Amino acid sequence: MLSVDNLVVRYGAVSAVRDLNLKVGRGELVALLGPNGAGKSSTINALTGLVTPASGRIVLDGQDISRVRTEDRIRAGLTSTPEGRHIFANLTVGENLRLGAATRRDPKGVRGDIDRFLALFPVLSERYGQAAGTLSGGEQQMLAISRSLMSRPKLLLLDEPSLGLAPKIVERIFDFIGELKREGLTLLVVEQNARQALRFADRVYVVSTGTLRYEGPPAELADEHGLFNLYIGG
Amino acid sequence: MSQVLENTAPPIVAASQKGSALRRSLIGGLVTSLPVLAIGLAILNFAPTYYTFLALGAFVNLIVVVGLQVFMGNSNIANLGHSAFVGLGAYGVAILSTPLAMKKLSIPNAPFGFATLQLDPVSSAIIALIVVGVIAAVSGKVISRLSGVTATIVSLALLIIVHSVFLNWTDLFKGNQAFFGIPKVVGLPWMLVFSVVVIVAARLFKDSRWGLQLRASAQSPQAAAALGIDAKRLRLMSWVLSALICGLAGVLYAYFAGTISPKLFYFQMIFNTLAMLILGGMATVTGAVTGVIVLSVGLEFIRSIESGVTIGSIQLPQLLGLSGVALGVVIVLCMAFRPSGISGRYELDELFSRYFRRNAK
Amino acid sequence: MDYALQQLLNALAFGAEYSLVALGLAVVFSIMGLVNFAHGEIIGVSAYSVFLAAALGLTSPFVAVLLAVAAAALAAIAFERVAFRPVRYAPTTTGLLTAFGVSIVVQNLFMLLISPKPQSVSILNGLNQMWFVGPFAVSSLQVMELIVSGLTILALVLFLNRSTLGLAIRAASRDFATVRLMGIRANRVIATAFAISGALAGIAAVFIIARRGSVSPDLGFSLVLKAFVACVIGGFGSLAGAAAGGMLLGFIEVGLLVALPQEYGGFKDALTYVIIVALLVYRPEGLLGQRVELGDKEI
Repeated sequence: MLSVDNLVVRYGAVSAVRDLNLKVGRGELVALLGPNGAGKSSTINALTGLVTPASGRIVLDGQDISRVRTEDRIRAGLTSTPEGRHIFANLTVGENLRLGAATRRDPKGVRGDIDRFLALFPVLSERYGQAAGTLSGGEQQMLAISRSLMSRPKLLLLDEPSLGLAPKIVERIFDFIGELKREGLTLLVVEQNARQALRFADRVYVVSTGTLRYEGPPAELADEHGLFNLYIGG
Repeated sequence: MSQVLENTAPPIVAASQKGSALRRSLIGGLVTSLPVLAIGLAILNFAPTYYTFLALGAFVNLIVVVGLQVFMGNSNIANLGHSAFVGLGAYGVAILSTPLAMKKLSIPNAPFGFATLQLDPVSSAIIALIVVGVIAAVSGKVISRLSGVTATIVSLALLIIVHSVFLNWTDLFKGNQAFFGIPKVVGLPWMLVFSVVVIVAARLFKDSRWGLQLRASAQSPQAAAALGIDAKRLRLMSWVLSALICGLAGVLYAYFAGTISPKLFYFQMIFNTLAMLILGGMATVTGAVTGVIVLSVGLEFIRSIESGVTIGSIQLPQLLGLSGVALGVVIVLCMAFRPSGISGRYELDELFSRYFRRNAK
Repeated sequence: MDYALQQLLNALAFGAEYSLVALGLAVVFSIMGLVNFAHGEIIGVSAYSVFLAAALGLTSPFVAVLLAVAAAALAAIAFERVAFRPVRYAPTTTGLLTAFGVSIVVQNLFMLLISPKPQSVSILNGLNQMWFVGPFAVSSLQVMELIVSGLTILALVLFLNRSTLGLAIRAASRDFATVRLMGIRANRVIATAFAISGALAGIAAVFIIARRGSVSPDLGFSLVLKAFVACVIGGFGSLAGAAAGGMLLGFIEVGLLVALPQEYGGFKDALTYVIIVALLVYRPEGLLGQRVELGDKEI
């Protein structure tokens, strides 16, 4: 579904991502792990097109999207829930969800999807007319993921969904991510919190200082204790 | 521990470094003013009178642009009101130094006894600059507290306030009409001297501890604040220095032209000098100098077309507005393709030393 | 009583006009941080379009009004496409100076291509009459200005709160990158914001032409300076602040006109600005503005 070849991202003279190769198959949940500053977010931003890679190819469903604008990548079925959630704080919960479906032209389907997420997260239903900025961190993350799903993506990129959240809430968010995988969605999850990310992952990539260090099934990563501790910890 | 440090080598090292830094920036300022001196001396010795008069105007612009650079280049806040200070300087000396016989004709009803007061040009200039300084300090107090965009709008408001006072306080400023009879005591030599002084002063400020801190806080306000830099005080400082330089330009203008009127110190001057600074590059004093030289020549050329030229047997019509269009286009193109202007980040002397160092290797 | 009512209507009408223009500035500033000094020239393009159409034989005031609004919206979109897009992601000062440059170019083009002198336009004079309501004589133009501005602002509020594009504009004022992550085209959001901004300027242009009966190259410049000041006291970037600031400015101006003796009337503008600068001393962020929060991790 997604294949990334020799991706390089530079900020001036500093290379954030060096020669990264990565594949995500249809229906897979792939985890991209690594410590702070490893180049994970730069990879995601290169995938969505918010930063322009210095070189490399990004292919989605057989179509080279390396030079395609962010907006059109989303329209092609790739969506991302950015790090730090980035919900629209000055808009209401309902308005956030509606904007998530901005690319769709089926009002009925959109309404149906909104109802589905409100049923799934009753707290969003209670706060439907409130400014999204008043939600708690966990609620904002639920809103952010729901908002991404409103566009009915083929591939969802999740950038640090556990960031700044209490363990219990992280558990719930990842339960939901597992649910999405069972429903058949393809996911690429970027995480520092390896334990949670490995719960549902089919395959794992580990990066540090912009370079790929490990690629394979999660079980082996857990076995190779050295690598696990070195790059991920706890 | 800290006491030991204070009593041993570092202060001496720091002092000698400070000395050499000061010397370097002094020499840098002088290097930057060399082209100005060369052009000035050439005009002084070889050019006909008409060009001398044009050159005087260009030198006034030079001083204004350098003054503008002191604030804009270091604080990175656009100032669209600096010609107010040029006007205040010019009207200051006009009111103080114009001979009494002339005043009887022009401002017989001036308040505060100004109608019967005549000072020598030097004291007039000093008092005018003090007035400019006080007004700059008061307005700067407000402006230095505001965020970038708001500060720019308030600088414009200041221009309109001052202009409107010139126009409406007819007893003192003669309103819309020309204020004439100011003693013409400044010629090209003095103008050259002050140009060099101003260029060196702007360079010294830029390289000083305050200039450096101000530039740092313009780049990254939070990082600078975390280092204990008081950005407001530094903005105020550069605002007042900038205003004094602009005021000086006004004083010199009044003393060479002998006649002034409010519209000289309004938007036209803002357009001209801003375009010069942007074209040259506002980050450096060299940029200010470069912009003035290039645009002064360019504008003179365009003005000659504007007033209608004859090519062969074809008489082109008057094209009023052509120079304005050119100025605007210069600003827009610069901002789009080279926001750092012609000279970019380096001063002239820094370019020289980089060049020689590369060749030495 | 008659006098007080008349002055109140004056203040409201002035205020409404400033609000319209200030809102146009705020819509653009809020989403892309552009301080659009060329907004006055959008008013200028609108006014000169009406002038040219009238010179070419247009007689219907209704068509002239439509033309004014459409020309302004198109001019705003064109300015963005040609001049502001290259500096879209540049620092605020760069955008501000670009807009200043555009303003100079367009003003001088009016001079160069049409004339430096004011040109008379009488097509909209019919809007400016005296209406007699019971014992009061009121200017039809002022009443219309008030009603039309009110309706326009209402329509703007509805658009921003109901339509997807409106929501996107509000969202973009805080977080443009994430709006793009919703698959919404940045160019479309920005073009819409400029079109709105231009249309508001066009409506203001209609009133200006009707009141003055003439057009001149610097027609919109001083009005836009005042609108900027309205934005500043309202809080730069806040739409509600722009509208409120415009009204406040109208009241300050009319208040000064009433309070100042005739011979000091010329100081009205200067004093208005002095009062506003004094207000800023107490509230540097404006009436409805918020202190800008910096340092959020940008994506």
